[in-house]
Amino acid sequence: MSNLAVLPIIIPLISGIILAFFHKKVTVSRWLTRILTIGNLGLVSYITWIVFNEGSIILETGGWEAPYGIILVADPLAITLVLTTNIVATACAFYASHSMNIKEETHYFYAFFFFLITGVSGAFLTGDLFNLFVFFEVLLMASYALIVLGGGKVQLRESIKYVLINLFSSVLFVTAVAFLYSVVGTVNMAHIAERVQEVDQKGILTTIAVLLFFVFATKAALFPLYYWMPKSYIVPNPVVSALFGALLTKVGIYSILRVFSLIFVYKLDLTHHAFIWFAGLSMIFGIIGALSTSNIKLIVAYNIIPAIGFIIMGIGVFNQDAMSGAVYYLVHDMIIKCALFLLVGTIAYVAGTSDLRKFSGLIHYYPVLGWLLFVSAFILAGVPPFSGFIGKLLLLKGALTNDEIVIVVLGLLSSLLILYSIMKIFIQGFWGEKDESFVKKPTKGFVGPVVFLLAFSVILGIGAEFIYPSIDTISTYLLDPEVYIDSVLKE
Amino acid sequence: MIFTVLIPLLLACFVPLISKLKDKIHTGIFIFFIPFVIFLYYIQFVGSDFTTMKQTINWIPSLGVNFNFYLDGLSLLFVLLISGIGALVVLYSIYYLGKDERLGHFYVYLLMFMAAMLGVVLSDNIYVLYTFWELTSISSFLLIGYWHFNERSRYGALKSMLITVFGGLSMFGAFILLSVITDTTSIQSMIEQKDIILNSTYLPFILVLLLLGAFTKSAQFPFHIWLPDAMEAPTPVSAYLHSATMVKAGLFLVARFSPIFSSYEWFFIIVSIVGIITLCWGSYMAVRQTDLKAILAFSTISQLGMIMAMLGFGTDLAIYAAVFHILNHATFKGSLFMVAGIVDHETGTRDIRKLGGLLTFMPMTATLALFGTFSMAGIPLPFLNGFYSKELFFDSSIHLTSNGLSSFAEFLVQVIPYLAVFGSIFTFVYSMYFFFGVFGGKNQLSLLPKKPHEAPIGMLISPIILVLGVIVIGLFPNLVNGTFLAHAADAVKGTVAEELHILFWHGWKTPLIMSLTVVGIGIVLTLTRKKWAGVYRFIPGKLSLFKLYDIVLEKLNSVSKGITKQYMTGSLRLYVAIILGVTLTLTFITMFATGGVTIQFDNLADVRVIEVSVVFIMIVAAIGTIFARNNVAIILIAGVVGYGVAVLFVIYRAPDLALTQLVIETVSVVLFLLCFYHMPKLRKRDETKSSKSINIIISVGFGALMTIIGISAHSSKWFDSIADYFIETSYKLGGGHNIVNVILVDMRGFDTLFEITVLGIAALAIFSLVKLKKNKEAE
Amino acid sequence: MEIIISILAGILFATAIYNLLQKQILRIIIGTVLLSHGAHLFILTMGGLKDRKPPILIDGIHEIEKYVDPLPQALILTSIVISFGITSLLLVLTYRTINENKTDDMAQLRGEENE
Repeated sequence: MSNLAVLPIIIPLISGIILAFFHKKVTVSRWLTRILTIGNLGLVSYITWIVFNEGSIILETGGWEAPYGIILVADPLAITLVLTTNIVATACAFYASHSMNIKEETHYFYAFFFFLITGVSGAFLTGDLFNLFVFFEVLLMASYALIVLGGGKVQLRESIKYVLINLFSSVLFVTAVAFLYSVVGTVNMAHIAERVQEVDQKGILTTIAVLLFFVFATKAALFPLYYWMPKSYIVPNPVVSALFGALLTKVGIYSILRVFSLIFVYKLDLTHHAFIWFAGLSMIFGIIGALSTSNIKLIVAYNIIPAIGFIIMGIGVFNQDAMSGAVYYLVHDMIIKCALFLLVGTIAYVAGTSDLRKFSGLIHYYPVLGWLLFVSAFILAGVPPFSGFIGKLLLLKGALTNDEIVIVVLGLLSSLLILYSIMKIFIQGFWGEKDESFVKKPTKGFVGPVVFLLAFSVILGIGAEFIYPSIDTISTYLLDPEVYIDSVLKE
Repeated sequence: MIFTVLIPLLLACFVPLISKLKDKIHTGIFIFFIPFVIFLYYIQFVGSDFTTMKQTINWIPSLGVNFNFYLDGLSLLFVLLISGIGALVVLYSIYYLGKDERLGHFYVYLLMFMAAMLGVVLSDNIYVLYTFWELTSISSFLLIGYWHFNERSRYGALKSMLITVFGGLSMFGAFILLSVITDTTSIQSMIEQKDIILNSTYLPFILVLLLLGAFTKSAQFPFHIWLPDAMEAPTPVSAYLHSATMVKAGLFLVARFSPIFSSYEWFFIIVSIVGIITLCWGSYMAVRQTDLKAILAFSTISQLGMIMAMLGFGTDLAIYAAVFHILNHATFKGSLFMVAGIVDHETGTRDIRKLGGLLTFMPMTATLALFGTFSMAGIPLPFLNGFYSKELFFDSSIHLTSNGLSSFAEFLVQVIPYLAVFGSIFTFVYSMYFFFGVFGGKNQLSLLPKKPHEAPIGMLISPIILVLGVIVIGLFPNLVNGTFLAHAADAVKGTVAEELHILFWHGWKTPLIMSLTVVGIGIVLTLTRKKWAGVYRFIPGKLSLFKLYDIVLEKLNSVSKGITKQYMTGSLRLYVAIILGVTLTLTFITMFATGGVTIQFDNLADVRVIEVSVVFIMIVAAIGTIFARNNVAIILIAGVVGYGVAVLFVIYRAPDLALTQLVIETVSVVLFLLCFYHMPKLRKRDETKSSKSINIIISVGFGALMTIIGISAHSSKWFDSIADYFIETSYKLGGGHNIVNVILVDMRGFDTLFEITVLGIAALAIFSLVKLKKNKEAE
Repeated sequence: MEIIISILAGILFATAIYNLLQKQILRIIIGTVLLSHGAHLFILTMGGLKDRKPPILIDGIHEIEKYVDPLPQALILTSIVISFGITSLLLVLTYRTINENKTDDMAQLRGEENE
């Protein structure tokens, strides 16, 4: 037992509160934010190191023993995702001041930013289903605040849809938790897992599981529940889009990963097999969406959906390779989605429009931006030797081991079209004649965070030998719920 | 070996620096030494005593992704081609690309490609091979798009990338399957376990995926359509990537895996048919082109088809002929591309209709073209290497064994020789068309943008060396035979065959008669070309694969748009309806599939009048919200429900809840009234009949679903609640009598902390929402 | 009684969803309010509605089964507060949206692709 597990939640919370007080002092806020995110990143890296070397860190909040009090579980999966979250957050902290105007910054952007990180980290770390709901609300409330920041007409309109859909799924969430409580008499996840196992997930339990799946799937933007996502993700400031794209849907998919590897794993034919269908349809429709538009931000937003499809496919296949692949892909996608949202945000800023039909030849003025996009496209499509490749390789290998041919073919085809959808931006927007009348806007500070993120993607790919064993540890761990249950309940 | 792959990549990083000097020294001069040194390194392995070499450097051993380099006869042949032609192409490019071009970019891409291509042919590890394979596609994309301000370049670049990456991904699929089946990532170990692969149920699937990779890369019918558009690349690139090396990666792949699949009948059928069709179609279409490079592009397609067909035949003779032709094609086609580049460079056009009679202006170039085209046409002369391999091709086509094959394969064996002759006739025709169209006949100087003159000697060196290759191999075929072609052929077959002796004169046998037929009919068709050219209007006529690609791509975008517009309407109602509809349907299905519904009537609380009346009022109020027509009314009716909940809290002994609910309900109602008093008036519900019935189905369905799950959940209380512990310890450990309070502030204090956080964020959000607007108004 | 309350909560869900599927924002928001009421009733019901003592310890009564299940009450309390926060935000958001976009009809708040 160690208090370390709570720090990734408490530090952003306190940071947020501090920054809420400093909101009028922009320069102070900016630097404070940067220092705090880097500090937090360093701390989380340290915790990650401890978790992988000495085992999960379990914290019983308030000293109330499991399963009665709320438990924080910094297990390998959770801490890996918290670490990734903080990497993304650091990049965004450095990008924010460039894409935001001062008015948005002084209206508590940095405070909301930290509250969002609080919610996301909390959701990853908590071992209590109701507490997960509370953290969902924290991150959603912060996201509501961020999405309307600036308060443009379009923003307001899209955010109201966003709030309503999320509100509905939250209510459904809390109701499902209550149903589950009635059956198993507990809200501690390890305890639920133990009890569900005892009765072999019989009776109404699978139905409640499916209900929970839909709650999470709505947040994860899985087919056919993603309709609210693309539009609402592109209306706020690019840095907010990047945070959303990298973190919010991933919390949803994480919850599915957790709940359907720890608790509901006794009716695989029914639940997990259906996931593969959802995966395939998500890939198809996500791609269709990405190809349907000439709005570069929307192209990236739609690309979230097939990525979610890939991850859910791994959970559906549910073997060692596929689970490793799902986790690898999850980490990879958090990073690359953030990078891509920041990139297209920058492109739209320099081009003055996000409509691809209205600009071309940018490479003459912004070669670095162009090549970053070029590399990102390949990272996203899973071309070796980048991070997407390792994840995809594991996922497809896992699926083929289980004879899931159709989804593999879909996965390969969608990779091609994912590449096409992003390459379109490069070919149409960056290639072409030099426009002599173009007025170049400075992009100082825009590029650094993107390079920072892409560096991680490259390391995750080329340096897979250093990272894969950890991911393999995670998937072994996920496939054996006993380990989690024992670590929480039998200290 | 690894260094020969890594060095070009590493040095590519320095090219941008070197290219800064381009005004003083052409960047290409530095670059030239890279392939040249690699060539010199590998030439040492040539010799009859060659043995295979292995080298392993670990990369990601836990996934079996390692740099396992493997040099056998086949890779040696390719390595020499890549580095040798590479050196010549760089040399040529020094004169072809002026110093005003973006030389830095050009050579970075070129070195990237070179490294990738070397990696492809040297990798024994499937995933590393795939990595390099995609890298060749990427560098090819960049090179085709080198002059990206041209619309056609962009178009060609995208097309080549889509088709070759498609193939690459499908090959990747085949690789994963192979590695799952054989549990290895090494091609050589797979060959050792070929029985497992041949007995796998996935065999047809693997074969098709693998061949898709090979066919797309090697521009086989019907995937050949990217190659003509790739001609937008600078000519050195066309000579190098799109004729001598990259397009042969597909052949390499088929050759590499043929020890595994050659005994599988469908391998023979598919590869032979696709090869032979490509041969015929490519040569037939080449005659129709008017752009010099387009003629050469179709010619390349056709020649690749021929080699592919021979790999499909799979006999010792055919495989030998295939590797021989890979070498020969590189020499004569490379030189012809360079000739085309020279003509383009010196006359300003590549349109064969404007060219003609250049023999007198460019005698050197014309001589080079003469050797190149005649060798390509397979004219029986002892100093043209093209003749030898063409002759072997004919020979192998008539010596296919049909023993033990299905009737379809047997039929194929009968037809192949005729198709071989047919394709070769057109090969002859376009070769002549190319040579005489450019250098023969009358000149039309008025049509040319520039006055033609002979190319500078620097530009001629590379094609001269290649043509010397044509002649030397032609005169002394056995120079390359035993020293490395035989090793290459052995590697493809997987066995060591007895040595073949190549002769110019075989005697009056069928292959020679076939060759003479080709020449005879070819001459007639060449002379009468204009008369029968009308046939192109019918075949292919309007049915062009090129158009098909455009249509598919166009449809991909427009259909996507159509579909997306259908459902991404921005309508909240539709979103909610779909989300709920899906959740509802699938949850219901699960519930019945798993037998989840249970009702237990014991262990229930008694039904009492007071509660029932509260419930009744609440139901009436809830339904009332639907029919309310007034802002204030609807808010108050909703308030009734809220207060009803509070009453129920009182009845069910939840004093804290009741208090909170009362306070919050009151505040909410006031807030609502504040906000909506000034809002637009509530209108009549605006629904069509169908949307109304959908709304009713979804809402009633969902309500029913929740009720049933609720009742079932309550009827399945299989465990004691953890709440018992709270009751027990509330005072002992928590020090409070009010258990709910103790839970909130102590046992689940963590929840409460973040519940307050949520409220805090909400307050801040509301504050900034209101204030930001005020700021705006102030402006 | 649990069954009756479950049905009531189900009806609250149904009416809430019916309102959510309407076009006018006010109705939709009323829908969300009803939805949370429904959810809270479900949570309450899941703890059982038997005639027991309120969850406030009384000296002398130590038997666990004499008290109402306190946990659902704690959960509801948390949930009520959160719902209140969201509802307030939603109200202000709606107010601003209607003012900016000059309509309270969701059917007219669809938006276009490039804006």
